[in-house]
Amino acid sequence: MISFENVTAIFPRGAGVKDINLRVNSGDFVFIIGPSGAGKSTILRLIYMDIFPDKGKVKVYRYDSSKIKEKEIPLLRRKIGMIFQDFRLLNDRNVYQNVALSLYVSHVKTREIKTRVYEVLNSVGLGHRVHYKPDELSGGEQQRVAIARALVKSPIVLLADEPTGNLDPKVSAELMILLKKINKEGTAIVMATHNYKLIDYIPDARIIQMDKGRIISIS
Amino acid sequence: MTVFFFLIKEGFKGLIRSQYAGLFTIFIISISLILIGLGFVISRDMVFAVQKLKSQFELEVFLKYAATDREIEQFYAMLDSMPEILHASYISPDSAAKRFKKEFGEDIYSILDYNPLPPSFTIELKPIYRNVVSVEGIIANIRKNPIVDEVKYRRNLLLTLEKYQRIIFVIATLVFLFFTFVSIVLVSNSIKMTIFARRELISTLKLIGATNTFVKVPFFIEGALEGIIGAIISCGFFYALTYVANNFFYHFVYYKIQLDLKFYVGLISLGFLFGLIGSLRTVGKFLGKIG
Repeated sequence: MISFENVTAIFPRGAGVKDINLRVNSGDFVFIIGPSGAGKSTILRLIYMDIFPDKGKVKVYRYDSSKIKEKEIPLLRRKIGMIFQDFRLLNDRNVYQNVALSLYVSHVKTREIKTRVYEVLNSVGLGHRVHYKPDELSGGEQQRVAIARALVKSPIVLLADEPTGNLDPKVSAELMILLKKINKEGTAIVMATHNYKLIDYIPDARIIQMDKGRIISIS
Repeated sequence: MTVFFFLIKEGFKGLIRSQYAGLFTIFIISISLILIGLGFVISRDMVFAVQKLKSQFELEVFLKYAATDREIEQFYAMLDSMPEILHASYISPDSAAKRFKKEFGEDIYSILDYNPLPPSFTIELKPIYRNVVSVEGIIANIRKNPIVDEVKYRRNLLLTLEKYQRIIFVIATLVFLFFTFVSIVLVSNSIKMTIFARRELISTLKLIGATNTFVKVPFFIEGALEGIIGAIISCGFFYALTYVANNFFYHFVYYKIQLDLKFYVGLISLGFLFGLIGSLRTVGKFLGKIG
């Protein structure tokens, strides 16, 4: 489903990733761990084709980084769910509207949007918060809205970039339990984090350890 | 249809969210359209006045005393066949004497014993030939006839009118171009500020798989709306101006401002275009830098 073949991507200021080979299959839960600047977020950006390799190629679903056209990138991103440390929710609209936005961009019909948004919000435990604005919610709730927004389009993979970075340990634990449940239901998850403790929540996850832009171990 | 209505709604919401930037753009567009409209009305009415003055313009062709009736008839026929001439009327020496008496109150025969006034023609030209270049050509043609003694016209008046017509045209064009440019640049800047203020929305939309068109369309709608609202305000100004000028000042200046539906439709179309062009040139340029 996702593969990296000898991928090197260097930024003008020097950091990036070098000689990356990896594969993510459907249903996998993959941790990418390592210190800051190890290249974890770069791996995720290469997957959603925000940046492109200088060498090698990345394949996601049926899209190949060496062949993809600019107008196909939105189509790829509709297949990928993304959550971030800073949630990236829009504070000028409520929870329902934030989640529904994902479906509007995919040209889904209004009636279906309504059904799917309520379903996904109930599944992340936010059915009672639909009319709240993000800044009226706690950090954990905001991250769950972000997860709902990512899941509502039934992605093939959920990319999580330090999703617990702004959350306290208790809320982080709740979030990991939620992500485990989502993974058990069939969605592959690739999570970049520097918090090694999170691995304990998913014992059967694959772990890719990175440092200075290179993979130093895969288990 | 869902996406269509969503984008329209986003365009309207965007206008409300843009607050001061949007209000500023609307204000600038309405001021620009008011000045363009005033430029149009002033130049239109001045051109109309100049044309009215020009319509009173005539050529006077004096014939030699020796011209025979047959020669005069042939000359009349020649004038009639000239495409530049709208109307030519013959004034015989007797008619000229009567006109003299009417204008000066004296009988020419009681002063001079004979009638010194030659036969003549007054010629009215078609409007497009009422300019110095055409008139000189027509006179040269007329003078070729041996019975023509002299051709007179008010050359200086014609030159002055032409000069003013040119100045009015140049000023009106410059006013139009300047305010068109100013409006488009300011709409562009306002949309640029709006894009910057909404970079978070744009980058989120791109992350969740929105196409460029999906991201751009609300900005186009917003720009066009700003243009239309600005135009409606300027229409209100002109409606009020016409009402006040024609009802309260007509008796002092004997001048009525006449604005028809086409004028208002023109203003709204211009506002729409200013807003749309302003947003088109900015969104394409700056959207790629976000996301």
